[in-house]
This record gives sequence, structure tokens and C-alpha cells, in this order.
Amino acid sequence: MLKVGKLGKWAIYTILTIYVVLIATPFAMIFINSFKSLRGIFLSPFSLPSSFNIQNYVEAWRSANLFNAYINSFLISTLSVGGILILSSMLAYVISRYEFPFRRTIYLFIIVGLALPARLAIIPIYVMLDNFNLLDTRTGLIVVYIATGISFATFLMKRFMDGIPKEIEESARIDGASPWTIFLKIALPLTRPAMIVVGLVNFVGIWNDFFFPLIIINSRNKETVPLAISIFFGEFSNKWQLISAALSLSVLPIMIIFFLLSRYFIAGMTEGAIK
Amino acid sequence: MSIKKKYILLFVLPALTLYVTFVIYPFIYSFILSFYRWPGAGARTFVGLQNFKDVLFGSFGSEFRNAFLHNIYYFILVTILELGLGFLLAIFLVSIVKGKRFFQMMVYLPNIISMILVGFIWSMMLNPQIGLVNQVLTHIGLGVLARPWLGDPNLALNTVIAVNVWRNLGFYVLVFTASLLDIPRELLEAAYIDGASNFKVITKILFPLTLPTFQTLSILLFIWTFNVFDIVYALEGAQAGPFRSTDVLGTLFYRTAFGGLGSSRADFGLGAAVAVLIFVVVMPLSLVYAYIVDRRSRNA
Repeated sequence: MLKVGKLGKWAIYTILTIYVVLIATPFAMIFINSFKSLRGIFLSPFSLPSSFNIQNYVEAWRSANLFNAYINSFLISTLSVGGILILSSMLAYVISRYEFPFRRTIYLFIIVGLALPARLAIIPIYVMLDNFNLLDTRTGLIVVYIATGISFATFLMKRFMDGIPKEIEESARIDGASPWTIFLKIALPLTRPAMIVVGLVNFVGIWNDFFFPLIIINSRNKETVPLAISIFFGEFSNKWQLISAALSLSVLPIMIIFFLLSRYFIAGMTEGAIK
Repeated sequence: MSIKKKYILLFVLPALTLYVTFVIYPFIYSFILSFYRWPGAGARTFVGLQNFKDVLFGSFGSEFRNAFLHNIYYFILVTILELGLGFLLAIFLVSIVKGKRFFQMMVYLPNIISMILVGFIWSMMLNPQIGLVNQVLTHIGLGVLARPWLGDPNLALNTVIAVNVWRNLGFYVLVFTASLLDIPRELLEAAYIDGASNFKVITKILFPLTLPTFQTLSILLFIWTFNVFDIVYALEGAQAGPFRSTDVLGTLFYRTAFGGLGSSRADFGLGAAVAVLIFVVVMPLSLVYAYIVDRRSRNA
């Protein structure tokens, strides 16, 4: 965009490279440390591991209860995202397509939730989940995630649907199709790009969330990955080789997903929230 | 298009019910709870404004003010660093061709990692014994700069903020990148033909035209700052050590409501009062943000 000379280009690339090194170093460190012994971490911090010993991984995987945590995180994230997509696409669809009383009021009411810090309301949420017998359950967590995800998803999908021509739906309606059929057969398939973005953003957000599991989940067998790692970090606070392995195990999968789908990530995170 | 009532209800009610029950109603419920004393089980006692008195002026007053000022400090520093550096790096990023996608991806990478895990990774990096930061400093002859980054009350909050910047900067870089790419190229071409320098182009064209992005992001950052919890919890624990020097309203709220080991009084009513006070500060900006988003999406 700027017109930069050779020297300017060189400066830009240098700065960006330094920045990338600063980003990569901590990840490289936990990865390298995860193959070392505790002695090695203390005595030769800069050397590469002498052998690719996966003993740390085996021990960390077992004692951090990671298999269990992975299953929980996967279940909770997937079901929450499914719920968010179904409920929000329905709401977004009628708001985008039909005239009815309080349409605009409902929309604005939903939009307010975009920037409402849901954590502040954790005490009543906790009390309500307790009353519904959903405290310390994965279902309770899922319900909370769906409810707090509705604003962003509805907003993004409504905006996307506004940009889709209505002609096909109009003619289907004249042919006698019900709103439900039109929604399922015509509108929803056209909204797929927005659904991918919304799904991905929410999946990562829920996968990464720590606060709600910390408050809502008590049992070890129901913990999510971030919660499992935090308990592990507390219990094994000086076994850095195991902590490194556990952190690597929790960071790598999400990184791989990111490298495969970075296009969608970048579109969703930047365009969705701001523009 | 028109639609029958039963269909409206079918499409609207499921989402709206859940949203009202678990997002809107809890905020109202917090207001009610803040007038009670309630350890979470058993009977509630109505205490009027006592909780607010305790939090603002009474036994919790100094702790609350301490955390509140940390939030403000946090907001100011993070805004300057993340928006300033974000804008600058975005300009760099849109001015190169080769490797652009690679840099975009790498810059964004930390943002997809859970904040709590980022905190744990950095607590290793900053560890006085095995931490890479001090080791590198010593290794390159700058050992005098080695510090107990998380253990020194004068440094700890800045360290927490630095880790926050490390994780989130990429988000702001990419938002500014998108916003810069929206600027019509002809505008820049014309300026260059008139002999404008890069500095002039940045200050007279790029900056003014991305000002709305600066505004929106500052509002969001303000709201998000009052949500800060994970990073402090990971680096300094729920007690926000050393000596509460990294305490923010998020951690204070957690301790008052859920005990968090060693708070002098864990009480849902008191916690709700803290939440209500934060809410009063944040709510106007949440509304402004909703207004901006709505206005923009109608103009688009």
C-alpha cells in the first residue's frame, strides 16, 4: 500500500521477522523442553534434546487425564456450536426475511448481548444451574455456551442473509412452500459460508474457555482441556518436563486446525466483530 | 414478506428464551442479589445497600479501589500498545507482497491459543530458574536486566500486560489490515502524485480513515479489560500476587463470590454487588457498541 524503497522493504521484513520469532519462541521452548529431562531443562536450557524421548508425553497424557479432557472438550464444543447454529440461524432468518411486530426491538435486544461481559452474571447462572440440577454437568456448560453465543451468531448470519437475493424464496412461497421448508431447503444452504465462520469462531472460543468450566465443573471426569491443564499445572508445579509435554499436547491440535483453516479464522475473527 | 404468527414463534422463541434466561435475566438477578447477604446456601438476609457500602467504602474499599485502578491502568496501556503497534504493523503488512499470508497467519497464531494456556507457557518463560527470558538476557551479557518478572510487585502488572499484548496483538493487526484494505487506492495514488511522503500519507490519509476502527476497538478493549481474569489467574493465581499488585476486578469478583482460597468473606451477595458496580461502568459502552454496530450494518 505504501510506496517503499529497497531499504524500507528490508526494514519491514526485518521487523516482521523479529515479531514472528517472538511469537514462535515460547511455543518452540515448550516443545523442546517436552523432550528433555528435568535435569536437562535446568542445566542446558539452550541445547536441543539429545533424543526424542516421548516418555514425558506418555506420563503427562496419563496424569493430566488428557484423553478424558479431550473427549469432554470435543463433546461440549461440538454440541454447543450445533445448538448455536441451529437456534441462531432460525432467529436470523425471520429477522432478515419477514415483517412482524417487534422485529427491530428483538434484533436490537439481541445485539446488546454482543458486548455484554457474560462472566459478570456468573453468580445467577451458577444459582440457576444449581436449581435445574445442571451444576457440575456438561449439559449445564453447553446450555450456557449456547445462550451466550446467540448474539454474535445471529448478528453475523442476519447480515449475511440480508445480502442474499430473495427471489427464489418468493417463488417457492408462491408455489405454496411453508416458511419452515423454505428455510431448510433454500435459505440455509445459501448461508453456509457464514455458518462455517460462526461455527469456527465459536468452536475455538468454547474450546479455549476456562472461566465457565472453572466455576461450573467440579468433577475430574467432566473437566475440559484448559481446566485439566490448570489442575495439572498446580499439582506438578515443578515438573517442567511434564508440564511442557502437557502444554504441547493441548496446543498442537488447535494449531494444526488453525494452519489448515486459517483463511476462515482470519475472515471470521476480524470481519465479524468489528466491521 | 409476511408470515403467520405460529411460524414467528417457532423461529424466534427457542433462541430468545435461552438468551433471556441465561444472558439477560442473570444481569437483573445480580441486581437483586446485591441487596442480600447470602453464603450461597441457606437463607438470604436482606441488607439493603450494605454490600455496596462494604465494597466502596468499608472493609473491601481499598481492595476494590486497588483493583479498579489496575483495570484503568491496564486499559490505557493495552490500548496504546495494541492499537498503536497493531496499526503500525498492519501498515507494514499491507505494504509488502511476498510472504504476506505467512506473516498474517503467524501474527494471528497466539490468538487461537487459550488465554489460560498462554499464561502457563509464559509463567515458564518468565520463571526465575528455568525461564528463557532471564537466561537469554544473561547469555547475551545483559544479566543486569534479569528480573523476577512475576515476583516483583512493581513489575508484575506490566509483565501481565506484556503477555496480554503478546497474545492479542495479532488480532488488532488483522483488524487494521482489513480496515486499511478498504481505503480506495486512488486516494493514495493521488497523494503520491502530489508528492506526499509516506509519513504524510499515514498521518493525513491512513490514520484519519481508520479512525472509526480505533474508536470501535477502544470501546471493545474497555469492555474486555473489565473481563480480564484468565491471564492473571494463570500467571499470579486467584490471589493476584505479589501482594495484590496484579489484582483486577475480575479476580476480585472471583474471590468474593467463590472464595478462591483465603478471601476473608465469600458471599454471593457481596460478589453480586461487585458485579453490579462493574456492570454500571461497562453497560453504557456495551450500548454504544450495539448502537455503532447497528448503524454500520444498516448503512452497509
